Amino acid sequence: MADKKSEKKTPVKSAPASAQKTLADVPEILEKNAPSAKEAKAAKEDAKSIPAASQKTLSEVPEMKEMSAAAAAKKEPVHADRIFQKFQEHSVAEFFKKNRQMLGFSGKTRSLTTIVHEYVCNSLDACEEAGILPDITIEIRELSEEHYSVKSIDNGPGIPKKHIGKALGMMLAGTKFNRYCQQRGQQGIGATGVTMFAQLTTGKPIHFKTGTGKGQIYTGELSIDVRSNNPLITNDIEFSGEFRGLEVEAEFAEVKYDKSSYGVSEYLKRTALANPHAQITFIAPDAESVTFQRSVMEVPKKPQEVLPHPLGIQTGDLVEFAHHSDQRKITSFLQAAFTRVSPAKIDELRLLVGVDLDKNPQEMTWPEAEELVKAFQKVKWISPATDSIIPIGKAQIEASLKNILEPEFFAVTERKPKLYRGGIPFVVEAAIAYGGGSGKRIGDGVQGDIVRYANRAPLLFDAGGCGITEAVKSIEWRRYDMKNFDEMPVTIFVNFVSVYVPYTGAGKQAISNEEDVVIEIKNAVMEVARLAQRYIHGVFRNKDKATRRQAIMRYVTQLAKDLPELAEEGKSKQLEEKLIKLIEEKYQVDDALDEEENGTSDDKGNEKDDDEGKEEKEEE
Amino acid sequence: MAEKKEKTKIDSSAEIADKLTNLGEAMIKEINANQSPSFETRLRGRGNVIYDEAIGCLRLGEKNETRTFVNVGQAKKFMQTVAVANKCKKFLKEGAHTSIRGLFYQLKFSLGEDLDEELFSEQSESNPLIEDLEVTLDVKREDLNLNTDRKGVVAGPMTLKDKFGGGEVEIDCTKQGRSGWMIPSDVDNGMEFKSVDADYVLVVEKDAIWQRLNEERYWEKENCILITPKGQASRGCRRLIRRLANKKLPIITFCDCDAWGWYIYWAIKTGSMNLAYLANDISTPEARFVGVTMSDIKKYDFLEKLTIKAKDIDVKRAQEMLDYPWISRHKDWTRELKMVLDTKKKIEQDALQGPRLSFVGEYLREKIGKKEFLS
Repeated sequence: MADKKSEKKTPVKSAPASAQKTLADVPEILEKNAPSAKEAKAAKEDAKSIPAASQKTLSEVPEMKEMSAAAAAKKEPVHADRIFQKFQEHSVAEFFKKNRQMLGFSGKTRSLTTIVHEYVCNSLDACEEAGILPDITIEIRELSEEHYSVKSIDNGPGIPKKHIGKALGMMLAGTKFNRYCQQRGQQGIGATGVTMFAQLTTGKPIHFKTGTGKGQIYTGELSIDVRSNNPLITNDIEFSGEFRGLEVEAEFAEVKYDKSSYGVSEYLKRTALANPHAQITFIAPDAESVTFQRSVMEVPKKPQEVLPHPLGIQTGDLVEFAHHSDQRKITSFLQAAFTRVSPAKIDELRLLVGVDLDKNPQEMTWPEAEELVKAFQKVKWISPATDSIIPIGKAQIEASLKNILEPEFFAVTERKPKLYRGGIPFVVEAAIAYGGGSGKRIGDGVQGDIVRYANRAPLLFDAGGCGITEAVKSIEWRRYDMKNFDEMPVTIFVNFVSVYVPYTGAGKQAISNEEDVVIEIKNAVMEVARLAQRYIHGVFRNKDKATRRQAIMRYVTQLAKDLPELAEEGKSKQLEEKLIKLIEEKYQVDDALDEEENGTSDDKGNEKDDDEGKEEKEEE
Repeated sequence: MAEKKEKTKIDSSAEIADKLTNLGEAMIKEINANQSPSFETRLRGRGNVIYDEAIGCLRLGEKNETRTFVNVGQAKKFMQTVAVANKCKKFLKEGAHTSIRGLFYQLKFSLGEDLDEELFSEQSESNPLIEDLEVTLDVKREDLNLNTDRKGVVAGPMTLKDKFGGGEVEIDCTKQGRSGWMIPSDVDNGMEFKSVDADYVLVVEKDAIWQRLNEERYWEKENCILITPKGQASRGCRRLIRRLANKKLPIITFCDCDAWGWYIYWAIKTGSMNLAYLANDISTPEARFVGVTMSDIKKYDFLEKLTIKAKDIDVKRAQEMLDYPWISRHKDWTRELKMVLDTKKKIEQDALQGPRLSFVGEYLREKIGKKEFLS
């Protein structure tokens, strides 16, 4: 239910944005202008003739809002010329400014985190594609108040000279098609957005240095020509050297570094947790440096690209796909562009929609797409193949928990794929870590921490509205001896893995609380909680026993003094020694909790004692 | 246990001291056997108070409880109980008495320099432990040389021998003048009846009425022992009544005609919840109630004008008493209590002085003569 609703409002949000190559906003523009297929076509033609035109389309989104609303109301198509005019008037910069929030550049701390996120994601993706174990360094220096420089260095494949401009300075559209695969969460428009942000807040270009390891190093400065939306490279030189990878350095204002759970250090720590194959070094503004060591030596499998499944599609994407289709009919478009759409299913769809399925897909209007998406939910589909889902893996998570949190105890699930929305496969990976570096440090105190991921990209923001948070909070922690979950050194790790991540909003920082998803997350977390309970129970019991022992010891001396007088026999000193021995035997602390299993009889004795204690309390 | 308590023989202080010694010896034995020292006591909570129909009093049921030292919830209390026992043993050996407050002060000291804790810091901690000891050892606190406040006065044909503080005096309750003989806390240890030559015992709730009757020398004219508990009867007073009942003297009680007065009667007769552990040591099921009753209001028409309105608490108490099975089983009492609930009236025993001061005596003489009692 919830997804359908949100689908209409923000088509961007759950579109699996593909790295920086995709402009998450394209569908929005198309959406606004959807009433007229012709215009879209025209726009598309523009895009063809003028390479940068597609971004221009973007640039007018905010302005288009009122217009398109009016247009939609009147059902009167907006003419392409007008749109084009708008392109001219409103630059990419304008677009960026108006959509900062959506792109992750809202708030000073968050902006800095987004910058780092874009660079780190690019590096991880590039390394993954090249089969390289990533080695990433992020250095942040404070230049003046709310003015920082960020430097990102990786050991990836580097970017060939001819592509560097596109990669860092050009907003491209259209490559999303046929790139449906499980990807790291993508906040906005990638590294280009970061370049834009640097330029907007400081007026300065970014520095880059790239080498492919073949002896040639290429460095220069890069900015975006906001009028043409073309990358502008200056001061570039090429020279020989052994460097392989990409180094980017840029200055940003209106950002702030802090150590909060929304900050860069927490982001990198979480990224490292979910990417045990990566080594990430962070040099903070206070010159403190931390390195999250690589804990597995295997580059994760590259996610397979798959055709989208009808159940995972949202209206905006459908319109976008349709308009870019070469097929002549919607029927053939659906069969070609989606998995599991057979002629039989097309027949089923015909009965459900009033849309003329034989017309050209490029003429598909927004309302038609909406109707189709609704109809998709009613048809019983064969589920998408689950082999496109690549979890981090139990051993990998174990290795990284051990490596980064050094917990006293940890447990990781290994669960089968489940389905949500009646057919979209997903896997939940859950882990729990107790003690050591687990939990959130607040001053001297520790709090239970929930670390959320979607396709191993950390979700730092919007925790309150996230299905993961909801699932974890709905657990009765008392049952797992973690009644005070909020005050314990516990880290709950949840990675939601799917080709289609049901984000709640464009910011892609929370997973929607769809019932199937929440239930599976809850079950996964409860599975590890059960394992942790045994350990934590032991910890508490030991602690408890020590307190109990101490409580009784206080009274030994006085008792040993009175008893011989009362009984007219025995000696205080001997009695005291015997009593101490008695108490120590009874409240013996298990030094090794692992040995607990052997001491079942002892356990029973202690439980009995616990019960007695309770009875006593009740009576009082 | 209840039967055992029918004894009239009183343990000497030496025997009681032995009980304390045995308690300690048993604990040391346990420690030497590598066990936590412990003792058995009986639960004193309301859940373990039962009405024993056979003897007609409230007593503790059979629910026992083991107190043990090596248990977090019990360690402190255990150590404290032993300290109380040891202290009482000293009192017995010295032949000295003190109050439970005196005992508390004797035991209010620090447990050690490094421990920010006292053996006892509130008297409310030591009081229940004294009761524990009473139950465990089957003795009364008076037997442990612990005094309670004296309350209650006696006049009448009775002489006692009082061995106390190294001396011995004879008390003649006919020669106590206007003040009467004040009932001590302990009427057992060092107290002996020399002679009791009365026909019955009259227990009068209020001191004022007792003074009126004493002035009339009612006890002399009627050859009875005249006692006032001055409200709710103290342990010593109840124990004295019990001992007089043991001498086969009828016990006749005279209280206000209200729930409170009647409750005083029932506490004397069946004992009370709080002192259920003393059971028939302090209860007198043989006691009878002479007045004032609701029926008296009808019988003596002048009383009608002297009634006062029952307060909420009187009504509530009456209802409670109706709910006690040991009271509601008596039909005459059910009737009386229901009358209170219906009429919402009450009458004080003092009202019997309405027509003339001597009427109280006349009323009692008539009713006792006709044996007009409530059960």
